Amino acid sequence: MQDKQFMKEMLTEGAHAYKEGRMDRRSFLALCGASGVALSSVMAGDAEAAADHVVMWNWGGQSEECHGSAIGDAFTASTGKGLKFDTSGPLEGKIKEMVDSGNVTADVADADLFNAVSLGPTGHLEPIDYSVVSKDKTLPGYALEYGVSVILYGYAFVYDTEAYGDNPPQSWADFFDTAKFPGMRSLYKWANGSLEAALMADGVAGDALYPLDMDRALAKIKSIKDDSLYWGSGSEAHSMCVNGEVTMGMIWQNRGRNIENDTDGRFKLVNNQAMAMPGAYIVPKGNPAGAAVMQFIATAQEVPAQLALLDCLGMTPSNPAAFGEIPEDQQDYAITSAKNIDKIVYNDPEWWGKNGGDAVNAFLEAIS
Amino acid sequence: MHALRKHLHPGWLIIAPLLVLVLALYLGPILNILWLSITDPEPGFGNYAKLGESDALVRIIWTTVRICIITTIFSVTLGYSIAYAMVHCHQRQKNYMLTLLLVSFWISILVRTFSWLMLLGRKGLVNVALEDIGLIVEPIAFMRNELGVLIGMIHYMIPYAVLPLLVSMQAIDHRVMDASRNLGATGSQTFWRIYLPLTTPGLVASTLLVFILSLGFYVTPAVLGGGKVLMVAEYISVQLLVTLKWGTAAMLAALMLFGVLAMLWIMSRFMKLSTVFGGAAR
Repeated sequence: MQDKQFMKEMLTEGAHAYKEGRMDRRSFLALCGASGVALSSVMAGDAEAAADHVVMWNWGGQSEECHGSAIGDAFTASTGKGLKFDTSGPLEGKIKEMVDSGNVTADVADADLFNAVSLGPTGHLEPIDYSVVSKDKTLPGYALEYGVSVILYGYAFVYDTEAYGDNPPQSWADFFDTAKFPGMRSLYKWANGSLEAALMADGVAGDALYPLDMDRALAKIKSIKDDSLYWGSGSEAHSMCVNGEVTMGMIWQNRGRNIENDTDGRFKLVNNQAMAMPGAYIVPKGNPAGAAVMQFIATAQEVPAQLALLDCLGMTPSNPAAFGEIPEDQQDYAITSAKNIDKIVYNDPEWWGKNGGDAVNAFLEAIS
Repeated sequence: MHALRKHLHPGWLIIAPLLVLVLALYLGPILNILWLSITDPEPGFGNYAKLGESDALVRIIWTTVRICIITTIFSVTLGYSIAYAMVHCHQRQKNYMLTLLLVSFWISILVRTFSWLMLLGRKGLVNVALEDIGLIVEPIAFMRNELGVLIGMIHYMIPYAVLPLLVSMQAIDHRVMDASRNLGATGSQTFWRIYLPLTTPGLVASTLLVFILSLGFYVTPAVLGGGKVLMVAEYISVQLLVTLKWGTAAMLAALMLFGVLAMLWIMSRFMKLSTVFGGAAR
């Protein structure tokens, strides 16, 4: 343990010296090599984080640019610290692996709030410091010990206007009604949102979903299995609609807008009964930048950052102070806009954190 | 020291560093997986016992094995005809064929998978063409089901089947076939009784190669299966990354490893495996 601490301090010193030009690159890398730190992690994480940066672990694509402009710039302006990215996607298994290996290279992960419930108590996450981060700048119940919801995304659906004409599907009940609305549909492969949609279609009220009745949900899912495809990534869901493989598709609501655009309005987004998912920022245990990351999370909660994320990524604000400021052209797409907020239901991260693993497996077994 | 030197060829000392490295980097992780499969979440054989308790796991394994067997049969049969044609045509055509084979061999699996969607999807080239000329009313469901997975996998695996067969067919002395015809055998008799037995090592090599590679397929079933064709590799990845059931994942990985080893062992009862990998028959 002492050795590790010593190595870490030596490397941090080394990183500072390297950054200021007191040490050449070769010696710095040799130092890293000698202390057993992999080159890639040094380049991507350790050195960067130690050298006055916060490393954000996100999903790549547009989000790199958007997180930079929406949060990074304001964070740099107020703290003088930079923002770097690891875009490999912080899946729960990867976070666990990173922390268990003792080689933590990311400071904040753009994850789900249920990850905070499952990974927090097992010692893989740093608790959120609520003297810096505000509990009031997110929805009630979405500020947890090990993670705080910064944005919301939603499970909604799109439908093909040419297939259904004047009498379009308007609810999950319609989505699951293959007699009235024939055609293929697509659902999310990893259970989230699909289970809730099935229960709502079966008549469960949106505020009485949890704990999920798994048997009932899976029976409903199986009832339309022959008319269903399942997608594992946003781009896959997108192409299933654009390529005409499905006439109805469950979709992340920000993707829904892209699909509307790409099909020139042929597909239309329905936000009725959309399920709000708390996207959360969580901090891997032993993160290199230490407490400085809390300031970053606090910056992301501010109204300007919230609106910028909505504008750039289509991620809906979770800070109630931002709800009233959602611009007119986003009213249809942001799930917490005045137009949508009364129609949506809320995900329970506690239930998913505790039962998510078994639920995903049961779902996979039901659809395969 | 002297005694040691007498038994230990000095050559071993030269390759010792490499040997240690390979053992550490290769065996280490494998042992770690085996260890994980009997210690996570709790010590014991609980993970393996799940095989008896859970229908789902057995079904996933059965799906995987079934798809791999069908893929192997088709890839090797088609690969055999391709290799046969290549060996027996003119050098020029052979070069063309080899180029085409290698080009498809080198194209990324993702590109090849998505190309099938363009071709055979619901709104793909083939379905649209058939609809336009009035042969079908509803699009044929080629993709996003088990058939789609099979088409994608067989297509991907054919070059792997052809190459070992090609090597083995090229090594055959053609005068043997001439002798067979000379002694009065018909063409098909010569093929079944002389040519096929002579290519058996190549056949076994390509069967093993295709089957073992198929077992680990991930991208093709995930994309072309439309979520309904769940194979072991994808299930393992979900257990590792999403549900954090690392013990189950390690158990399935260990099972695949032992399955392959068992297959090699059974093969070795019937034939000398070294001939398959290019060694001498005795």
